[in-house]
Amino acid sequence: MTKPLSHLDLLEAESIAILRESAAQFKKLVFLYSAGKDSTALLHLARKAFWPQKPPFPLLHVDTTWEFKEVIEFRDRSAERFGFDLLVHINEDGVARNINPVDYSPSVYTDVMKTVALRQALDKYGFDAAIGGARRDEEASRAKERVFSLRSPGYRWDPRKQRPEMWNILNGRLGQGETMRIFPLSNWTEKDVWRYVAREKLDVVPLYFAKERPAIERDGQVFVINDDRPFLKPGETPRLIKTRFRTLGCWPVTAADKSEASDIDAVLDEVLNARNSERQGRLIDHDAVGAMERKKEEGYF
Amino acid sequence: MTERKTAQELNGIVRLLTCGSVDDGKSTLIGRLLWDASPLYDDQREKLLKETASLHGASRPDFSRLVDGLVAEQEQGITIDIAWHYFDTPHRRVVIIDSPGHEQYTRNMATGASHADVAVLLVDAQAGVKRQTRRHLAILDLAGVRKVVLAVNKMDLIDWNKERFDAIVDDFAGSVARFPRLSWIAIPVSALNGDNVATRSQAMKWYKGPTFVEHLETVGSRADNAHESFRMPVQLVLRDGKGFRGFAGRITAGTIHVGDAVSDALSGRSSTIASIRTMDGDLEAARSGQSVVIELADHIDVSRGSVLTTEKGEVRTGRRLEARIVWLANEAYSPTQGYLLRTPTDMVPVASLKILGRLDLDTLELNEAATLEPNDIAKVQVDLARAVAADRFTDHRGTGAFVLVDAVTGAAVAGGVIREVSAGVAADKGAFLLSSELLWRGLCSDLANTEDAEGEFRRRANEVAIILRAAGVSVEFAA
Repeated sequence: MTKPLSHLDLLEAESIAILRESAAQFKKLVFLYSAGKDSTALLHLARKAFWPQKPPFPLLHVDTTWEFKEVIEFRDRSAERFGFDLLVHINEDGVARNINPVDYSPSVYTDVMKTVALRQALDKYGFDAAIGGARRDEEASRAKERVFSLRSPGYRWDPRKQRPEMWNILNGRLGQGETMRIFPLSNWTEKDVWRYVAREKLDVVPLYFAKERPAIERDGQVFVINDDRPFLKPGETPRLIKTRFRTLGCWPVTAADKSEASDIDAVLDEVLNARNSERQGRLIDHDAVGAMERKKEEGYF
Repeated sequence: MTERKTAQELNGIVRLLTCGSVDDGKSTLIGRLLWDASPLYDDQREKLLKETASLHGASRPDFSRLVDGLVAEQEQGITIDIAWHYFDTPHRRVVIIDSPGHEQYTRNMATGASHADVAVLLVDAQAGVKRQTRRHLAILDLAGVRKVVLAVNKMDLIDWNKERFDAIVDDFAGSVARFPRLSWIAIPVSALNGDNVATRSQAMKWYKGPTFVEHLETVGSRADNAHESFRMPVQLVLRDGKGFRGFAGRITAGTIHVGDAVSDALSGRSSTIASIRTMDGDLEAARSGQSVVIELADHIDVSRGSVLTTEKGEVRTGRRLEARIVWLANEAYSPTQGYLLRTPTDMVPVASLKILGRLDLDTLELNEAATLEPNDIAKVQVDLARAVAADRFTDHRGTGAFVLVDAVTGAAVAGGVIREVSAGVAADKGAFLLSSELLWRGLCSDLANTEDAEGEFRRRANEVAIILRAAGVSVEFAA
């Protein structure tokens, strides 16, 4: 097979090389696994990168307790199916204080249940590097990330102190107290991930496919009701709406799309012709200018 | 604008770097390019129109806001770090690498350049070619960019004047002549108004060349190197627990087939390829760009840091490199500091670094220099604690570059390209002999004699050597 490689072949080979460099350069690696489509593609790449060995790291899921139940099921099933150790961390202090996405602003909620929770988990296990599925095309401050992205002590991201990352040479050497975030999907777009899911015939969480689900419409956005915790406002009654998700966050703050795309070909078709960007359904990106950047500076994934 | 239905897989990737000094309008040019020529999403368009209207009350969107994603960048109106943007034409993936022009952030521009196939270098038509323009040209050349577009921007502010454009192009031609590997064209544009970006300028009918977008559609990505001789830096050794032992890496040049003779550059040992494995099944052949696992017919000891090649001795090995580097750290080069040299998969302590000449950005000549300041470009001689396997950058890009790393902080302090690899001098008489016997006896006596411990052993040995060298003691390893 010596024909030129397609862009997807090149992206796959690049990600595999990054994953192998991660294993070669860090002592205590972890794979941040959210069970979403990007995590799914990345987990598949990790299996390829180390085959015939098992990837040399456990999976870590920071569970906010407000995930879609389909996501939790998929998470557990995938870890078992591929033989990964799965670590699940919940910020119990946040749970005790009842910090939830219904009563608190997206930024407070995300800070406590995701950012602080992630820091707790990394401290607890002492990981020196964490692999994640973030892509540069997701959001403006993500577009500035390195592949090996340095975090100062306390997991802080300082965009002014990013290391030069020349050619394909990845430098994983750490100073005192520093850790690394590793983004093997940096150069992938949302479209590439779906192209890859289709090409490799990967299983994804069923929420990505359109189905009639109990939902409400609020401020022009559709929210699928995933359990019976208080969410509905007076006058709101769920009805069945055919929806799918482009991105999966906590259910009260992740809007769904009305869609008829119920299989992978239809989803691919829809994504390749989308008129709106992926993260417009994610409330946390929109509550302030530079919202994502600030969260990342504080250690958000 | 409706996006055309895209083919599922595209024919490769072209990477475009934008550079130029501060306020020359890079971000505006890229924003304009995304606005006019790419399938921007509706919500991004609306957001930009809304934000710009509320901020400046302007009728025209501020295109630079499409690319300057950091709060500090928007506040200061400058680009601090590279932003990566991705869009698809019907045929290929285009990656735009938007890099900062500010001298303080040259390291980020150098990072961007090392990933680019083609660069657009902006010059403000009012200001003409600057010192920073020449610095950027030198970095593009060093980093391996071979195609440059000179975009003379803000033509609207000089009344679309052809004579002024021609004078800038002449001036630029004088500088670029110093870099014979660069091929280039010049395009007069107004990024703000969109003239000659995606649409032909009505104000500059005297210009007969392509628009920026027309040029991008025809400019080639990096030359395919599948025909070159085979190179694969070894990343990991993978096993299946049942006797299979394979070398994992990404092929940086050439093509291999099962049955081909290969050799390990560092040990010089040869074997043949027994199989090329992937999780999806065995391959008969593999080519440049692919990540694979190679099984050899003989049990030869190849480890991370070496390079597999097809012909024995073809990859150079040695302890002395002659190289061009760009100094990226905020601190000047210090001969007492410990540095490490990182190749794609190897890491070797630097015994000494000698500055052979520093580039003068006005004359583009090499001058004598005692040290290197941030953003300096220099010719250096690097002596290493042990031999590395490497190539001349002009022969093999994937195995011809390195990064210098501060041994204490881990920060990358310089990027370099290799011009020559040689054996280097024999160890100085009177050098401290750091023998493995000595290390195993004391410092490493807690380590088991296993392969994992081998890595830790090497790490400790290197650290000791760095500390001794920093204290002025010359050190020699003895196996």
